[in-house]
Amino acid sequence: MTFDFAIPDPAGWMVASAEAIALVVIVAGLLQIVFYFVLLLYAGAALGTRPPVPRSATLWRRYSEQAPAISVLAPAFNEELTIVESTRSLLALQYPDFEVIVINDGSKDGTLARLVSEFGLEQVDRFVDRSVEHAPIRGFYASPRLPRLLVVDKENGGKADALNAGINCTRTALFCAIDADSILESDALLRVVRPFIDEPDLTIAAGGTIRIANGCKVDSGRISDIKLPRNFLALVQIVEYLRAFLMARVGLGKMQALTVISGAFGLFRRRQVVEVGGYSHGTVGEDMELVLKLHRLMREAKRDYRIDFIAEPVCWTECPDTLSVLGRQRARWQRGALECFVKHKDMLFNPRYGRIGIVGFGHILLVDVLGPLLEVLGYILVPLLWALGLLALPWLLAFLAVTFMFGVSLSIATLVLEEIQLRRFPKARELAMLAVIAVLENFGYRQLSNLWRLQGWWQFIRKQQSWGTMTRKGFSTS
Amino acid sequence: MTTLRDLWEVSLALCLLAMAALLLLLLARVISARLFDRTSASRRRLLPLLLDGDPAELEPLGKRELQTAADLTVEIAEMTRGSEREALLARATALGVTDLLIVQLRSRKAQSRLNAVEALSMFEGSHDHVTGALDDRNPDVRLTAALALAQHANAPAPLDIVNKLNVGAEENSLLLVSLMVDLAETDSEAVAGLLFEKDLSYRVKVAAMDALSQRGGEYAPLLAHMARDSGNEPDLQPRIFRALGRTGHPAGAEAIMEGLLSDNWTVRAAAAEAVGNTRLVAAADRLSALLNDPHYWVRYRASEALLRIGARGVSALRDASQSEDPVVRSAASKMLAEGRA
Repeated sequence: MTFDFAIPDPAGWMVASAEAIALVVIVAGLLQIVFYFVLLLYAGAALGTRPPVPRSATLWRRYSEQAPAISVLAPAFNEELTIVESTRSLLALQYPDFEVIVINDGSKDGTLARLVSEFGLEQVDRFVDRSVEHAPIRGFYASPRLPRLLVVDKENGGKADALNAGINCTRTALFCAIDADSILESDALLRVVRPFIDEPDLTIAAGGTIRIANGCKVDSGRISDIKLPRNFLALVQIVEYLRAFLMARVGLGKMQALTVISGAFGLFRRRQVVEVGGYSHGTVGEDMELVLKLHRLMREAKRDYRIDFIAEPVCWTECPDTLSVLGRQRARWQRGALECFVKHKDMLFNPRYGRIGIVGFGHILLVDVLGPLLEVLGYILVPLLWALGLLALPWLLAFLAVTFMFGVSLSIATLVLEEIQLRRFPKARELAMLAVIAVLENFGYRQLSNLWRLQGWWQFIRKQQSWGTMTRKGFSTS
Repeated sequence: MTTLRDLWEVSLALCLLAMAALLLLLLARVISARLFDRTSASRRRLLPLLLDGDPAELEPLGKRELQTAADLTVEIAEMTRGSEREALLARATALGVTDLLIVQLRSRKAQSRLNAVEALSMFEGSHDHVTGALDDRNPDVRLTAALALAQHANAPAPLDIVNKLNVGAEENSLLLVSLMVDLAETDSEAVAGLLFEKDLSYRVKVAAMDALSQRGGEYAPLLAHMARDSGNEPDLQPRIFRALGRTGHPAGAEAIMEGLLSDNWTVRAAAAEAVGNTRLVAAADRLSALLNDPHYWVRYRASEALLRIGARGVSALRDASQSEDPVVRSAASKMLAEGRA
């Protein structure tokens, strides 16, 4: 097949250059695919050999006596519409010993006033640590009727800053960092604390699976009916989250090379987090950076440790369902990953950092740093060079294989793993719908997603620090 | 070129394979949905049989319904106690649930074996089967069996259990403390004896100490001796001080006072916590001196302990709240404010 604009009789160097470009794109894509399949195998092994997963009642009976105390840190900024329900839901968590610390990060709306009036709080004083840096605290609010609740009012400083204030106020060995607008499973703490109970001397952090709540019914701060959303973007993100959590994080967790625990839900040992200075300011990837700093600390001190990931769902979050908001979120995630990579680039392929340097950073380099650049380059150049007659058809097919076909098979394989091991989608129809989405996302959405990531690259180069606006619509209630 | 074409063909084959696998699973899902309906009907039929009636009149169930009956038994047993629970378990035995659980102890799936051990441990007369599970290849199953056995007077010796669990290598769970607490109910001397076993893991000793500390002052002198003797074990010593504090016994006073002067801040913090638990008034001056400790946790535990030891401690806090040292002043005044709240 030839086009009218194909170059007749192209010079050898032109063909060689075109083939070299295509080779780079295909090899990079292939490396990513191979890495993903390895992760999938590890995830399968992790799920197949994981400790038995008991029911909530059994968990409580088994763990309630020894479960270590946890402080749940919920930073809130301009959340007056949802903060009361979120806090009620946190206070209703099933866990024997926990405290909820809501940090009002200088909200400009009535977040603090709503909390104070709804829970009958009064200003109190509290002797807190000063180990990690944050903007000044303006006051503490508590009520003797609710000994588990403490509200910290501070000047605005961003999510990382608010979490640092929370860490300083914490008096427990473990703290759980969450997004105030996420919905936690009632037994989330009992489930995620398991690595800390199983290996109390080694475990320093643990994450759990985040699921998308769009489309689900919410009742009194709990998910009461799991349903798929109707919005295409939300559906695509369900497939993406499955790949990210079920395949990548479970697999990396099994390899002990996890480089990120989602800011929406993570359990940490306070002492090590304080040792690394808490969350970093001036980055949008503060959740990833904290995990990298913990790895660095433990590796450099040559201390044995574990950072684990549990496959069970612990938290539900609302995902963006418009292109503009999703685009901003993805650009920000890309920027965060690049910031972390550059800040800790000395760990890349550095044997001193073991599998974190090789596997963890190799993953970031391949997927987050080079991935979007080479893939977009491929989308533009490979079809063009083929149309110009500089590349033979097999080159184009190989490119399509690494960008589309392997992508589809990987997504479907993740769904297969989900179905065999977890069965979290109640109806077969929903699974079939996700399989269709897993195919469709490769045609249009994937390319758009790469453009957003390039935008993140551009913002990173220009050192743009804004978070952008995440417009939340709120969960639908029953 | 052949390699490039191969790549395309492999990707197509993988894609088709993944889709075929998913289609099969979808088909399996549809079939299992029908089975689920059958299970629901079975549960509705079995529930009254388990909750009421004379066990002697019950016939053993067929294979198909037995698993549903076993699941239902465990669910109800977790919600009931006393004679009601005994009657439930007698009916379940008559239906053949225990026979099924014994078979499941040999399942290839650790999840099934663990569930079977947990369920079997509720039935009288299953002691031998649960004891056999101490040799299971999965550490979770072994620990579950040990926890179940420890609740009975005829549990194996603590040292045997600890060896079967391979503590330190395969088992490090905090649940070892629960295990030791239950074992100490029957034979606290045997649990105390673990502290003198040279080759045992540090994790066993920590669990044994925590368990013994919950028995009041009985083992306070032993823990006090260990607290003093463990100066070269920086990870262990703070835990001993915390255990000593939990006994609340004055026999630990001297060791705790020494702990307040330790070079290791984690020991100072643990000793201060122990002062609060034992209400050791004599430690007030040393605690006051710790209010300007460089470590927050030491300052916090010292100020908290001063608040807990009563009038003398509160008086020391009041004095410290007037201190010229802002660190001391802050610790004392904030803790006094917390005390008032």
